[in-house]
Amino acid sequence: MILFLQSLINGILLGGIYAACAAGFSLAFGVMGVVNLSHGDFVMIGAFVTYWLFMLLGWDPFLTLPITLMVLFFLGLFLQKLTLNRIAGAPPIMSYLLTFGLHLVLSSLALRAWTADYRTLNPSYAGLNFNLFGLILPYSRLSTFSFALILIFGLYLILYRTEMGRAIRATAQDGEMARLLGIRIFKVYAVTFAISAAITGVAGSLVAQTFVVYPQMGLPFTVTAFCVVVLGGLGYVPGTLFGGVILGVFESLATTYLTAGLSLVLTFLLLLVMLILRPGGVFGKGALE
Amino acid sequence: MTARIASKALVVFLALVALLAVLPLLGLEGYRLRLLTLVFLWISLAGCWNFMSGYTGYIDFGPVAYFGAGAYATAILMIRLDLPFALSLALSGGVCALLSAMIGWATLRIRGAYFAIATFAAAEALKQISLEGDRVAGFEFFGGSHGLTLPPPPASEFFYYVLLAFMVLVVGISFFLEKTKFGYGLMAIRESEPSAELSGVPTLALKIKAYVLSSSLIGCLGGIEAYWLTYIIPDDVFNVMRTIQMVIMTLLGGMGTVWGPVIGAGFLTLVAEFLGAKFVYDYLTILGVVIIAVVLILPRGIMSLGKGKRGEAK
Amino acid sequence: MSLLECREITKRFGALEALRRFSFSLEKGEILGLIGPNGSGKTTLFNVLAGIYRPDEGEVIFRGESISGMAPHLICRRGMAKASQMIRPFQEMSVLENLLVPGMYGGRLGLKQAREQAANVLNLVGLESLSEVPSREISLSQRRQLELGRVLMTGAELLLLDEIMAGLNPTEVEGALRLLEKIRGEGKTLILVEHVMQAIMKISERIVVLNHGEKIAEGKPEEVAQNPEVIQAYLGRPYA
Repeated sequence: MILFLQSLINGILLGGIYAACAAGFSLAFGVMGVVNLSHGDFVMIGAFVTYWLFMLLGWDPFLTLPITLMVLFFLGLFLQKLTLNRIAGAPPIMSYLLTFGLHLVLSSLALRAWTADYRTLNPSYAGLNFNLFGLILPYSRLSTFSFALILIFGLYLILYRTEMGRAIRATAQDGEMARLLGIRIFKVYAVTFAISAAITGVAGSLVAQTFVVYPQMGLPFTVTAFCVVVLGGLGYVPGTLFGGVILGVFESLATTYLTAGLSLVLTFLLLLVMLILRPGGVFGKGALE
Repeated sequence: MTARIASKALVVFLALVALLAVLPLLGLEGYRLRLLTLVFLWISLAGCWNFMSGYTGYIDFGPVAYFGAGAYATAILMIRLDLPFALSLALSGGVCALLSAMIGWATLRIRGAYFAIATFAAAEALKQISLEGDRVAGFEFFGGSHGLTLPPPPASEFFYYVLLAFMVLVVGISFFLEKTKFGYGLMAIRESEPSAELSGVPTLALKIKAYVLSSSLIGCLGGIEAYWLTYIIPDDVFNVMRTIQMVIMTLLGGMGTVWGPVIGAGFLTLVAEFLGAKFVYDYLTILGVVIIAVVLILPRGIMSLGKGKRGEAK
Repeated sequence: MSLLECREITKRFGALEALRRFSFSLEKGEILGLIGPNGSGKTTLFNVLAGIYRPDEGEVIFRGESISGMAPHLICRRGMAKASQMIRPFQEMSVLENLLVPGMYGGRLGLKQAREQAANVLNLVGLESLSEVPSREISLSQRRQLELGRVLMTGAELLLLDEIMAGLNPTEVEGALRLLEKIRGEGKTLILVEHVMQAIMKISERIVVLNHGEKIAEGKPEEVAQNPEVIQAYLGRPYA
């Protein structure tokens, strides 16, 4: 029983991070119809920014979150204006290929700059745990989970309580109508992508405290983000939290009770099952066409 | 391309093939023979990838899944069941057909994004099976990270001719595809799937057929390479670099055309060979930049230059 | 037996009821006009008929067979095809080639027969001079002609024409009306959705009016035009 609960808790904490990683992906897709195959690389860059600030300047990873946020916001803005903007309205093929190209560039530049070495972040509180009735809850996991929730809640606030957020949602619902209402679509696209990158970068900072950091880590996270979004519903941002937790719990339980070695295979099978039975996500609110 | 130019191109191609067929008899051997064989392999791979991604517009990001599956299936059939190469190859093609039919059925019913990432995930999952399968199941089958060693192959000329023939097969299929009901159906899906459905095209069935065709042939190519190299490991036959190269070769040459993959693959294979392995990091960066540049500037690839006007994003 | 029968069709999108217990029937050879203000459910109805949406309640009976929820390509092959102003042509193909696809798949013709038939249809719709032109280069009204040609090539008996006159100038509208009469003369049955009021009133033998997903009037064009509820739906209470 304890084993099950521990596994469950681990899964939930993991799921929060997964959800944070996926929120930006869902946003970019829901608003711009862009499937960003370089999404995981924003996680990677966020992770590295946090890592280097910690290693070189000794700054605590949580305190540097705003810096990561800003760096990735501007990176996202830059990339969007340089490349994605030019294919707005083009068929989806273009965005897959373009973002795939971006992925190659970003990950190989990172590889060049930082080598393929695995790196870990070890702040002073790294190994400390909170002990609840025999269940082990590492401090760092609890705090990253909390921050993941804050991040998602923050996104929710932006989307539903600010004017830019309203513009973003209007554009997501009906681009033509939004344009007719005077909303500057290209500006919305740029900001949306920048926000997506920024959130994902912060998620990357959280990831850096839980996982190993290396230049090729991006692609697996893109796939993870995609799985979360399939579970939660593509384009349905609130669903990503649940999607993340479901995926986290699934992986955790699979690792504990089945085997660690085949976790990718099991996740893939989960993905297939979801696509066959319920492509609109658990809530059925995901975009299908 | 008008019918006359197309036929002329075919004649030129066949003439080249005849020349290539004769070269080994005139003394072609060693490094150059193997280099040409490699060119035939990549043209075939790009051409197969094109069947699905180029003609239907559903981008497959996991073709290496079948390359690896075919390689392993052929290896296992030859090693553990002592079957001859030709039979093993045919059976491997069948295995890949089955696998792709299942994955295709699950993922092609909804928009292209799902297919793109699901196919990528499939490749990674299969790779993991080949790496971890033995340890988990407790028997000696896939060989784990040590890989598998196949029986000794015939001389290089064998593979030269096999792959030359395969290349002709792939180009031939592509050439005739464009003129058949099946081909028109695929292109209709690419151009406007809703319109295709409303015109009576059974889109799901056609997409699955294209995917199965593409994947089973890629599987056979994997089997051929396995026999050629004699030694396979997961990191090699399931390497995402193969997917990347198939994508970029076809994109550069021109997706959804007969000669695009031929030009793109031929060109890039030779370029990669001359640049050598020392530029690996830069090579990837360059590939990425090339993909971005092609999408932004020349989305229809080199082939569109031949048409005399700048290809525009639709 | 009516060619088409809709029984109590209801279609919801979340909390919104786009169609509510909608019923009507259609006889072979009729030209029926479907009108209603924006958002009244006309496009939804067409999408239900064409198989793009499955109705939540109710049934669609075509030629005596229930086709509710059948896949669009199957419905097309059974003889009901939808033409739409939103549909793009198959842009990489020539005008003639665009017609091969519906001919071979919807109409079940061989490639050679489809080519012959396509040439005939191009003549009928007036595009024969453009047959080798890439379809991305043709004008708006030519696209409409091509779209009409597309549904004709499917061999369908019942044609659903969704706002195909949108954006056409009066001369083009006249041409379209003449074409539709010709098509009806070939034995086709038509349902039109249009906002070009004059055109639809002129050509339809019968009109059905939708508002908020419900049928509010049905009858000859003159009768419907006088119906106070219809006027109210379009112009608001003060005009009733």
